[in-house]
Amino acid sequence: MLKKLTFGLLIMSLLLGTSLVSIGQDDGMMEFEITQEMIDASPYLQSVIPRLDEVYDTSEFAKDPPYRIAFAAQGTSNAWSALMDAHAYWYVEELGEDVVSELLYGDAQASADIQVPQVEDLLAQEPDALILVPMGAAALSAPVERAMMQGVPVVLCASAVETDNFVTEVGTNLYTVGANLATWLIDTVGADGNFLMMTGIPGVTTSVIMEEGALAVFDAYGIELLDNQPGEWSPAKGKQIMETWLAQHGDEIDGIWTGGAQMAQGIISAYEDAGMEIPPIAGGEMQNGFLRSAMEHGFPFYAWMYPNAMITICLDAAIQILQGEPTSRFIDFVDTMPEARPFTDAEAADYYRPRWSDDVHGPITMSDEKLAELGFLVEE
Amino acid sequence: MSLAKPYESATGFSSWRLRKLVVDFGVYMALAVLLIAAIFLTPKLYEVNTIAVVMRQASQLGIVAIGQTMILLVAGLDLSVGGIFIMTSIVVAEVTNGRDEMVLPAILISLGIGALIGAGNGVLVTKRRVPPFVATLGMLVLVKGATQAYTKGVPGGFVPDVLGIVNQSWFVLSIPLLLWLGLNAFFIFVLRRTAYGRKVYAVGSNTEAARLSGISVDVIRISVYILGSCLAVVSGVVLTGYVGYVDRFIGTGLELDSIAAAIVGGTAFVGGRGGLLGTIAGVLMIQILSTMALLMGLDIEVQFIIKGLVILGAVTLYSVASIEE
Repeated sequence: MLKKLTFGLLIMSLLLGTSLVSIGQDDGMMEFEITQEMIDASPYLQSVIPRLDEVYDTSEFAKDPPYRIAFAAQGTSNAWSALMDAHAYWYVEELGEDVVSELLYGDAQASADIQVPQVEDLLAQEPDALILVPMGAAALSAPVERAMMQGVPVVLCASAVETDNFVTEVGTNLYTVGANLATWLIDTVGADGNFLMMTGIPGVTTSVIMEEGALAVFDAYGIELLDNQPGEWSPAKGKQIMETWLAQHGDEIDGIWTGGAQMAQGIISAYEDAGMEIPPIAGGEMQNGFLRSAMEHGFPFYAWMYPNAMITICLDAAIQILQGEPTSRFIDFVDTMPEARPFTDAEAADYYRPRWSDDVHGPITMSDEKLAELGFLVEE
Repeated sequence: MSLAKPYESATGFSSWRLRKLVVDFGVYMALAVLLIAAIFLTPKLYEVNTIAVVMRQASQLGIVAIGQTMILLVAGLDLSVGGIFIMTSIVVAEVTNGRDEMVLPAILISLGIGALIGAGNGVLVTKRRVPPFVATLGMLVLVKGATQAYTKGVPGGFVPDVLGIVNQSWFVLSIPLLLWLGLNAFFIFVLRRTAYGRKVYAVGSNTEAARLSGISVDVIRISVYILGSCLAVVSGVVLTGYVGYVDRFIGTGLELDSIAAAIVGGTAFVGGRGGLLGTIAGVLMIQILSTMALLMGLDIEVQFIIKGLVILGAVTLYSVASIEE
């Protein structure tokens, strides 16, 4: 009996271990492991981890093409989301009218208040599927539930909602992203370093989850941060905060964790003005402006990717659902888009694209001609 | 037998005098208290580097607060300055595309567009009798929408290197600070020593009386809105150089902070009372509070609460003090 129990426990731990590794980053860089304690403390992990192994039976949604797909987008609020929209239109064109006959579009202007009624408007047009980039986890939960009740399968793209009643989510484990950034920083500087943290917009799911993951790692090492403030994904706000931090802590700062490349640009600019050496920064992205500054100044950094091109995976998922194929309940874009992996300063030149304008977030799956047409290429 | 003044206390110090003291010097006293508190709470505030940072950041808010104060003096309000920052940043980047020699044309074009926006606000408020809040809010949405339609959410171009000069500091002096002080000196002179300045106060104090005494009330109001918009353009240029990057959200929140700075500084919401010296103190109070909160490592929620309390406290004090005037 004891042997059977031990064997059973061993098998369970192996299965759990396999699922945990699958949400880590297989990039040859330092990895961190999610512990049971972290899962217990995080509703996000409690939602994501079980879904990694779940498959949704989509037979109830099966129908013949062409499909009318609703896309409730973040909208033209910044370059990242503008490129996501461009990818969506481009990919629908590539798929052809016999697959997707119409893309019904809603521009939320990055606001949950605008997006909630917009989703209702989109559903009133009776689409075959809804792709939603949620602007607020709580606010968008009810519209998602209503869509599912109406028989419209929902694909969450790039962010999450609080309800579990949707077909699939396309993204990556943001908790792991935040934790990996913190782990790299500690690995580079040492656990006795003095660290600062600059997060995105308070309350926005992406920012909150990344922060949660990072803090779990800092806590695990017993690190007390010098400070943690929201830079609101703004270069100006990021710079203002960094200037004050520099005045306060100066040379004591050994490393900075940041939740986005825009803030990293503000941080770099503050250091540049102060004429001080830039410490390691965890939280760059494949954003051309950040990479240009980083290469000019040559400091250690760790960058992650959150590709706007993941909309193509979301569209594929919607089509798969409408074809009645079983669909995984959590699709990590890294599995389909292996180039969207983290990288460090050592590889900066490989990711920098001289012809892209500063605000382009890679990787891009569209052609350069298409980018030029959209105004994202600079004159040579 | 001597007649006691109204509200005269046994000590001879009337409550009327106290109220007058609060109205006239409240913000300076509050600033002094804040600076004394900083000695104990955040001594770092007194280091040269920190003072330079505070002054440079205060200048960005301070320049736009000059215009906002003048608009408040004529019983107006301008929310559209938020759109003007973004428009300026985009025009500078698009027109110059990183070329230093194109900075002047870019600034002139921005000033031209800014003046048109200000004139639009002024005409709506004076000729169409649209309440300033509604008129300038509508203009804010219009300008943001127009910049978005033009850029499709993706501002192009580069910020020229020469604008990076706004980031240089010499001791505590910087270009934005000198600009802020210079503009303050000029507009304080205009408001206190010229007929135009007296007309601004007259229009804000009592519009009908001003009209009856021959002042072109509408012209004064429209001109003040134009000045406010042009000052927002100047602030937008400084912000663009500060960030060094075309940011579609540049200056977010400064429109409300500029109103808050003027109100904290003693400028009345109903017009006709207040001035730029108070606004300077108001700007410094808001900036020093923000910096102190950061130096103390306070959470962002606490920072908002403190800011809100200061604004509410100032408005309450001024209104209580003004009741008996």
